[in-house]
Amino acid sequence: MSRMRPDDELFDEVLLRRALRLEASELPPRLGVAAIAARAEERPLGLATFASSLFAGLATAALLAIGVVAIWALAPVVAGDTFATAISLVASVAVPLEPAVRTMEQPTIPIAALAAVAFAVAYEYHTRKERANV
Amino acid sequence: MAASVALASFVPAIATPRPVTFSDAVRDHQDEVYGVALRITGDRESALDVMSSTFLKAYRAFDRYDPSRPVRFWLLRIATNEAISHARRRGRELRRRADEHAAGVLPDPALTPDALSIAREDQARIRAAVTALPELYRVVVVLRYFNELGVDEIAQVTGRPASTVGVQLLRGRALLRRALEGTG
Repeated sequence: MSRMRPDDELFDEVLLRRALRLEASELPPRLGVAAIAARAEERPLGLATFASSLFAGLATAALLAIGVVAIWALAPVVAGDTFATAISLVASVAVPLEPAVRTMEQPTIPIAALAAVAFAVAYEYHTRKERANV
Repeated sequence: MAASVALASFVPAIATPRPVTFSDAVRDHQDEVYGVALRITGDRESALDVMSSTFLKAYRAFDRYDPSRPVRFWLLRIATNEAISHARRRGRELRRRADEHAAGVLPDPALTPDALSIAREDQARIRAAVTALPELYRVVVVLRYFNELGVDEIAQVTGRPASTVGVQLLRGRALLRRALEGTG
């Protein structure tokens, strides 16, 4: 704006006032008090608002009820399915791991067997070596 | 004797001023209510809607109006609230339909040459810049420079603290200046 200088607050305010002033051509049509009163007394809008609010409330309540019933009915089925799936998953992992787990639980038997075999092999090897040296 | 009779008949009229009726309020303040709505919303149709709903609400609530307070401020309070609500609704609609920039700089369609020698172009730019101000500042700027209210009166109308109004006026003017320098 060419005439607005940042250092001249008063000038800004005068311009603002003049620019915002309502001109004769902008004046609104005259309002009639009787028309306002008549409009204020009209209640169809209020009734319509009430009816639509009531309808919206009932629809919301119905939806909520359907939702609750659906959850109530489906929950055991969904929970049962989920439980069965989880069990089968655990079983599919646990069955192949079972021998290893058992060995880890009681390591003495296989370790003792392995030690016996190793001892026998070593003994035989030593005995043959002695015979060869005779 | 005649003088005392005349005085006696005159004094009660001063002592107990006639209460403001709804008709008085409409007659005396409809232009101002329309003006504040026009400057806040930025277009004539919206301003007419706001004026109509303002007086409708005022009519329905007139029995709750406190006559010890100026009816002008009461009406301006309703009008600014209505204008803000209307501008928000319209803003949402415009954002759906058009880009925000176009919505912010809508010129006043009822613009005419200014009798006080402001160039028409400048006047349109100032009005558009005021309309494009954020709502917080637009309301106080319009109440200050259109309705010619003081800071305390604006505080009364908007329900904001006077110190806040003062700061918002300064900030609003700075934003206006920046916007106008940007378009000038």
